[in-house]
Amino acid sequence: MSSSLCVRRLSLAPSDVSAHTSMATRSLLAYSCNASFSTSSAQLAQNLQKKSKAALPPQRGTKNSVTLKRKTPARDVGKRPAPGERKALRKRIVLSNINAFEVPGLRDLHTTNMHADSVKGRVMGLPGTVVDSLRAVEAFKTTQGWNLFRRPAILMRRESAQIAEFIQEVEAAQGKKTIRRIIIGDRASGKSTLVLQALTMAFLKEWVVINLPDAKEIIIGHTEYAPMPGSNRTQYTQNVYTANLLSQIAKANTAVLSKLQLTTKPDLPITVPPNATLVKLAELGAATPEYSWPIFRALWDELTQPNRPPIIFAIDGLGHIMRDSAYLSTNFKPIHAHDLTIVRHFIDHLSGAAALPNGGIVLAATTGSNNPSSPALDFSIQVAEARAKGMNSLPTWNPYKSADQRSLDSLKNVEMLRLNGLSKEEARTIMEYYAASGMLRRTVDNNFVSDQWTLSGGGNIGELERGTVKLRI
Amino acid sequence: MPPRLNILSIPRAIAFRPRAPVSVWRNERVIRISPSLSLCRNFADSKDPPAVDKSQNRDAQPLPHVSEEAAETAEIMGLEGPDIEQGTPVEEIVKGDKEAQDKLPKVIKDSIKSSAPKGSRSFSTSAFRPQDLELVEMEAPPPPPVMLGIKFGLPALPIPSDAHLKYRYDPVVKQVTNLLMRHGKLSIAQRNMSLILTHLRTSPPPTINPARPLIPGAPPPSHLPLNPILYLTLAIDSVAPLLRIRSQKGAAGGGVALQIPVPLGLRQRRRTAVEWILTAATKRKNRGSGKGGFAQRVAEELVAVVEGKSSVWERRNAIHKLGVAARANLNLRRR
Repeated sequence: MSSSLCVRRLSLAPSDVSAHTSMATRSLLAYSCNASFSTSSAQLAQNLQKKSKAALPPQRGTKNSVTLKRKTPARDVGKRPAPGERKALRKRIVLSNINAFEVPGLRDLHTTNMHADSVKGRVMGLPGTVVDSLRAVEAFKTTQGWNLFRRPAILMRRESAQIAEFIQEVEAAQGKKTIRRIIIGDRASGKSTLVLQALTMAFLKEWVVINLPDAKEIIIGHTEYAPMPGSNRTQYTQNVYTANLLSQIAKANTAVLSKLQLTTKPDLPITVPPNATLVKLAELGAATPEYSWPIFRALWDELTQPNRPPIIFAIDGLGHIMRDSAYLSTNFKPIHAHDLTIVRHFIDHLSGAAALPNGGIVLAATTGSNNPSSPALDFSIQVAEARAKGMNSLPTWNPYKSADQRSLDSLKNVEMLRLNGLSKEEARTIMEYYAASGMLRRTVDNNFVSDQWTLSGGGNIGELERGTVKLRI
Repeated sequence: MPPRLNILSIPRAIAFRPRAPVSVWRNERVIRISPSLSLCRNFADSKDPPAVDKSQNRDAQPLPHVSEEAAETAEIMGLEGPDIEQGTPVEEIVKGDKEAQDKLPKVIKDSIKSSAPKGSRSFSTSAFRPQDLELVEMEAPPPPPVMLGIKFGLPALPIPSDAHLKYRYDPVVKQVTNLLMRHGKLSIAQRNMSLILTHLRTSPPPTINPARPLIPGAPPPSHLPLNPILYLTLAIDSVAPLLRIRSQKGAAGGGVALQIPVPLGLRQRRRTAVEWILTAATKRKNRGSGKGGFAQRVAEELVAVVEGKSSVWERRNAIHKLGVAARANLNLRRR
């Protein structure tokens, strides 16, 4: 039955082809089946189209409605800050709080009382002229709490007395002695402040003070650099940085350098008037950045002539210059920090490769809060401490760490100065100073001192300050 | 026929509530620091009336107490006046004054009439004075018993309920720190709080605007920078609203929400004030760069609040005005 039905289907007339599309396509009699008889379908199609358009969401980029207006974002029409203004506000050093009380009986540190036993463990004020000089060499940091007190004052702790002894030794040796130290210690243990104290005493003793305020600024690639012509292993000068350093030296050491005159005839690309003072020389370098490095060398040569005052040369953040810098050489290799001339100069004096003929102190402080990874420095500190303790077996280098041989060599013969926590008496002294300034609203008694001393990790002065005066809970 | 309208009777009951005593205000810290400036009216035996030191103008100074006035008059006239060291009884004050006697309360009138002491009073009228207390010899407290094996002694019992680490910090500082916190970063909020308090300590003392009075009992502005937590508390408590407006749907009818003033608790008030201050601070322009920008703006806003320059005051006044207007919507049932 089914077969007969199939046969019947095959016998369909060609007029019915349109009903079977598969057949229609194959049909040789191709005629159009699009032509329509009536107009109704076309009208219906139009209506359908209209309806669908109305249902669509408003088209992008066209104004469909009065309510859908594009809003122009509100523009800030206020005055723009001048270039560098916001950074200046961030880096501003405030050294006085007019609300704080003047501490009665606060004496100034002076050349006469610097070494005395009476100032040990006492809080001493900084004289105004020294404060100006310290500000010029950027010894104050924004993270330190100077802005809370009426005027800058320092605690003469045990390590400060040690620095005072160093200064005494150098002066006693009459230029035969150079003391080189790396200040190490926990975070917020007062390393940068100890450098500041050393600079303070040097200013009081009328030494020449050269301070590199932050080693990080030298190596992060924020100042321009150029290869130094004629250097065998290519050295790189940082002209703007050196010029800035020279201006700082001139400003901070005016009292000392204005008394000293040129004794040699420096070979410089610009003419220097004969018998010019060293301040003039430094100012000349500050004014002409392109010759700042030769002028710095000339100034250094002058300072190392006989019968010149001792020099204190200090840096903060030593770890940064014990690794590769962010600068690149011409063949796109990172430049080692020791290939930057100013760093090279400091490292030569820290390692003892170059001497200070008139004596002096070379100080380098490590950093705790902004510590870069420098395995060479860490290892050198371990070795130096083990040696100082007189241990028989010194620590050995971990062979799985890549060794920075230049850094290791430069730190081979340097002694460390470890900053420990304050003693309870020192903690009590500084807390009494806080209370007398009106910043600590508590009775300073034995219980409270002991409490805070313990909470600050055994007298870590930064933590002590944070716990007592900075209201940092 | 009696008049239908009685003029003398009150048409409806007046909701009268006596003012709450001043001591309800709970921040004891402020009161403790300046007891002399508190709102409390002084007692007869206190040395100076509260406003004596404030006004230089003699006419503006308040009158002394009746007994003191009488003493001064007596001194001028060369007579012997009442003893100021002791309070003067009311009977003595009104002794010659017929008109004043008529206006006395009935209790006192009765007591004056029956002037002879009966000696059968059921209550005591004697008051303790500190001088009297001093006369009494106090016995020294017995020495604490020596306990072996206890280094620091035993704590005083009972231990207060808030004597543990959750209540370690000042409540205002803790609340503001938590409100400063964004994305759960408490440490950053704590740093910002520290920066705010440091800014309050180092900025010059505020100049108070008399049109924007701070809470009573506030210390003089020169004391504020040295006590930054008090400064913060003062700024927040001064602009804290007393109430909020609750919109109750369908209560007014016609699809209009009925606005009902609702009193706020202390923490709620502070919270509202801090949120207003933070909103105002975010609208300020950031002048510097780096981490402390927001803290700086919040601190500047706090100083502006104390100086009466902040826009937060307008918000507070608007809420209070609305609250007064919506007072009619309150349905206080009698109990």
